[in-house]
Amino acid sequence: MLQDIKILMKSLSDIDVRIMLCKSAFEWELLAKKYNALRDEIEAFCTSGLPEDVETALEKTRAYLVEKKGELPPLDLSDFFK
Amino acid sequence: MGLIKNIKDAVKKEVKDYIFQMVEVEKENEKKPEQPSTESVQKNIEVKAEQPVPKAEEKPVVKEEKVQPGKVEEVEKVVEKPRKKEIYPISNDLEFVRVSYKKNQDVVTIPKELSELIKMLPLEEYACFVKLYCFALEQRKNYGYWGGTLKRRIGLDNLTTAEFEELGNNLAAYGLLLLEQLTENQKTFVLYVPFDEDTMVKLSTAKKPEKEPGKPAAKKAEKPAPKAAKTKPEPKEEPETQRAEDIPGKMVEGMENDEMYKSYKTFVSLEIDKAKMRVGRANFDKIYMEAVKYIDKKYGFKVLSDSDKFKEYLTNYYISAFDIPTFENWKKSKG
Repeated sequence: MLQDIKILMKSLSDIDVRIMLCKSAFEWELLAKKYNALRDEIEAFCTSGLPEDVETALEKTRAYLVEKKGELPPLDLSDFFK
Repeated sequence: MGLIKNIKDAVKKEVKDYIFQMVEVEKENEKKPEQPSTESVQKNIEVKAEQPVPKAEEKPVVKEEKVQPGKVEEVEKVVEKPRKKEIYPISNDLEFVRVSYKKNQDVVTIPKELSELIKMLPLEEYACFVKLYCFALEQRKNYGYWGGTLKRRIGLDNLTTAEFEELGNNLAAYGLLLLEQLTENQKTFVLYVPFDEDTMVKLSTAKKPEKEPGKPAAKKAEKPAPKAAKTKPEPKEEPETQRAEDIPGKMVEGMENDEMYKSYKTFVSLEIDKAKMRVGRANFDKIYMEAVKYIDKKYGFKVLSDSDKFKEYLTNYYISAFDIPTFENWKKSKG
């Protein structure tokens, strides 16, 4: 179990690195999807509840993602109004 | 004999002269210490006449300079003290409900129950409440964003942002207004209005934050918004209708095929473009960043990562932020 959670945490830190390198909304969406999938996976893995450090790491990555989305150029809404 | 007599007279004369001389010397000795003393007195008088006068003038000036600011500070302290006084809620059992008015009101009526409550408010808070009440009737909803735009729209331009914030905090402390800190720079308000089934539609019930009675509201307002990292992972999903109604300026749903709605969308698109030009690129980026944080906090990360939903919520955010008329208001303005 310890080994598995380490692998999952490694995937999370990979996302952290990719967030730093992310430059477009498309890339961001892919990362967000990865994050959501990974979060679901971790939650499924830790059925008895998320350990505190894992939850902190997940929240940290989420905060990075939100911050990054805010830093990217504003989303073009022209399609939405067509 | 004659010789002796002459000697005798001469001695007498000599003694007399000696005595006179001695007397004169003594007189002179007596006079000498007196003269310098009079001179010194005169000098002292002259010096005193020169020096003490300016001293006498300076001292009060110095005192005045030192004392006056102190007095001013004391006065300021005296003025500030009442501001720091604790505010106790007028009523604790008021239910804050987000409502929309069914139709435009021709007459602004204040229910007796409410007038009984607000008459206990100080003048400034009373005025602010009545202005907000009239504004709520005008915009047909008792909630919205709290900030500079609201301040302008209710005619409180002359107040500084800090004063307006203080008024809001005071009203919240009196228990007649609910302020919710969404992000660091954004607040929403819900004004207390007694619910009337005939004229209002209940949208949602706003939860009153638990606070210690009598605690100044200003302190709460100063608290920074909790960071995204500290927020719960996914806020509990509320029913879709309720969430939609929580968004000020939310578009009316179910009108997608309506021609009016299509032209409204075009109108909104143009208005957003105009606002973008007006505020400038840098500010627009900041507004976008705030929108992202707001949507994440309010609706959760899954909405943020869903492109379509995010666009919808972002549009609603822009509608509110740039004071773009809602669909209903726009339709009315079109006649």
